[in-house]
Amino acid sequence: MKYILSLFVLITVWSCDKSVLESVIEPYAPAKVDEAAGNWKTFILTSPTEVTVPALNSDAAYKKEVDSVKVLEITADQKAAVQYWGAGAVLRWNEIGRELAARYNIPPAANAAGVYPVPNAADPLADPKFPFANPPYTARALAYLSVAQYDALVSAWKYKYQYNRQAPYVLDATIKPLLPISTMPSYPSEDAVVAQASYVILLAMFPGEGPFLAAKLAEAKNAPLWAKVNVTSDVVAGANLGAAVAAKVMARAKTDGMSASNNQAIVPDLIANAKKVGLTTLWASQELPARPPMLPNYGAVKTWNFDRATLESIRPAIPYLPGSTEFTADLAELQRINESQTREQAAIANYWADGPGSYTPPGHWHRYACEAGVEAKYSEVRMARMLAYVGTALMDAGIACWETKYFYYSPRPQQFGLKTSVGLPNFPSYTSGHSTFSFAASTVLAAFFPEKSNAFNNYAQQASDSRVYGLIHFRVDCTMGGKHGKAIGTYAVQKANADGAQ
Amino acid sequence: MKKCITLLFCLLGFVELKAQMPHDAIYMNKKLACGALIYGHSSWTNYWENNLKRDNPNLGRLSTESATAMMAYGITRDINVIAMVPYVKTNASQGNLMGQQGFQDASVFVKVKSKAYKGITAHAVVGLSTPVTNYVPDFMPLSIGLGTKAAMLRGMLSYALPNHLYLNSSIAYQARGKVKTDRDSFLGGSRLYNSNQVPVPDAFDGAFRLGYLKKDNQLELFAEHFSCTKGDDIRRNDMPFLTNDLTMTTVGIYGKYQPKKIGVNARVAYVVDGQNVGQSISISVGVLYQFKIN
Repeated sequence: MKYILSLFVLITVWSCDKSVLESVIEPYAPAKVDEAAGNWKTFILTSPTEVTVPALNSDAAYKKEVDSVKVLEITADQKAAVQYWGAGAVLRWNEIGRELAARYNIPPAANAAGVYPVPNAADPLADPKFPFANPPYTARALAYLSVAQYDALVSAWKYKYQYNRQAPYVLDATIKPLLPISTMPSYPSEDAVVAQASYVILLAMFPGEGPFLAAKLAEAKNAPLWAKVNVTSDVVAGANLGAAVAAKVMARAKTDGMSASNNQAIVPDLIANAKKVGLTTLWASQELPARPPMLPNYGAVKTWNFDRATLESIRPAIPYLPGSTEFTADLAELQRINESQTREQAAIANYWADGPGSYTPPGHWHRYACEAGVEAKYSEVRMARMLAYVGTALMDAGIACWETKYFYYSPRPQQFGLKTSVGLPNFPSYTSGHSTFSFAASTVLAAFFPEKSNAFNNYAQQASDSRVYGLIHFRVDCTMGGKHGKAIGTYAVQKANADGAQ
Repeated sequence: MKKCITLLFCLLGFVELKAQMPHDAIYMNKKLACGALIYGHSSWTNYWENNLKRDNPNLGRLSTESATAMMAYGITRDINVIAMVPYVKTNASQGNLMGQQGFQDASVFVKVKSKAYKGITAHAVVGLSTPVTNYVPDFMPLSIGLGTKAAMLRGMLSYALPNHLYLNSSIAYQARGKVKTDRDSFLGGSRLYNSNQVPVPDAFDGAFRLGYLKKDNQLELFAEHFSCTKGDDIRRNDMPFLTNDLTMTTVGIYGKYQPKKIGVNARVAYVVDGQNVGQSISISVGVLYQFKIN
């Protein structure tokens, strides 16, 4: 029996804590409150007061609202919600967007007839679920999310300093808020602005998530009341502003060409064009049964930070053709990795794979952006601004990369006998989406956080290399995609430099 | 010698899915050791994606081959220690996913017994296992293992029947830890975790065996059920993941032939029902050598 007992001790020592090691982001007071942000240039709104926020109630009415907040008793769960949302509304809604992307990022299964059904926005929870949140879809969803948050917050900042309502705890010093105090006027509530704008965008992008998003919205709008940093009229005005701005942003989304992005009818023309420009071996789906190429017309979606003529002028040159010395060298590199991939190469390939069931490379870069913004203690409006430039650069990168992919319709390494350690995307090879996305994002992030520019550039280079290590891209796909991404990111940086933010 | 063979072969299912452990009622005598080399082959074409039984032409037949080195040793007649380490190689017959290979997890088990009641003997088995190489655990279903440390406890009752027949039933619990993955986020259920530490759910299993054992010949039928204590299901058309709640019911047959010093035997097992697992058929064969350590 004593043996059994000592073995139990061993088990206890061996078994370890199962809790997931996620770092907790605490609420913080921003390094700058950005008083002048009401004058920053917006993406969609033509002026920060394009949507009207009604004037303040009487002082007496406000006093009554403050008194009702003062006596509010909250539960432990409500306190936890305050801490969660207090880390930043922009940050949290960006995380929610990434989570939804991961949940919806699975390619449809073929049906019994060997046909891949197309997800149906009108019946989003049927199989296959709508959307298939692949990298271009996710880049776009997060771009609109960030733009809506940013435009709505610029407008909110304008009204905050126009109406200049003092926060409840300024009016009544006996009120002890649960979050770091700020000198910022409290009307309209920035938390409610972000919550309602984010809700509108995410519900449009993930239409099957109504109940989930409604629950998040309700909690997000209650949190500033529970924290005693806002009163109800702050939240109502903020929510109305957020909804109105998001509706304007969605008006662009509805007409940006996304609805035609999966138009398979153009594929014969794309193939004819690729042959015309000199491609000798064309991409073919390696899946069984053959799957139609993903979003062949995404390249026609409207860009954010440059026009169509620019998109065509910066398109990477024709890839190396099979039989050429350069192609043979690129193929030989992959063949060596196929034979003897190192564990380190596999680790880099896996870290950046961001494949099905993940938030995709655009999601990965949004996460990096959020982490950098939190570390720099960005205000809500500055965080949204940074994410709007990163997000639009990522969407532009997706559009320009997809335009390139279908312009050349080039073959994948698997058409030359190679395996993959990460899974093979179902669209042409040249250029690498990871490389284009990553260098576009790293270029923008380097401009916002110059002290980290080396780190971001190294991450982008690693993300780019990862596709060679994972054996699904030729080296030239990655180097040319990376250059393309840098150029795309630079357009976003130029726009940011001219938006009036200090 | 017959003890050695039986002891080792009942471990084999463990290599396939870490579902099983030493679970026979046979012990090595004091200071007696037994080494073995075993080849195993397991494969499936159909699998349960959550509850949906399907095939996948982009995988074809998924095969797992293993070569396992094992050693058993009798500390006393009532306390045995068993250690093993498998080399595992996977392959998909179709599609373009790269097969994986390498040494998987090393395991050590200690088994003790005590007379319980009349002809019934009670046994307890404790085991620990840990990966011995830095293999990729989350390239499923081609990964060679789950990458987790595990601690196992099994309780077992054995009963000798007339005419050389025996009955053996056991239940076991496996505590499993977190796995450090190369990725830095993952979905667990519908939640996205921004972490590279993936918790693998604990598991339990139960087994029932009916056998015939006379001199050096043995034939056994068995049924086993394995399930995780929690976990999520494979999403529609997604690949399996470490957080999945695996469930399976396996039936099998085990036989042994022992002419002299060198023994051979074979085990065949088939998954009749499951969730989030492949419907695998597994076979294993091996040779072993017994010796005294003074």
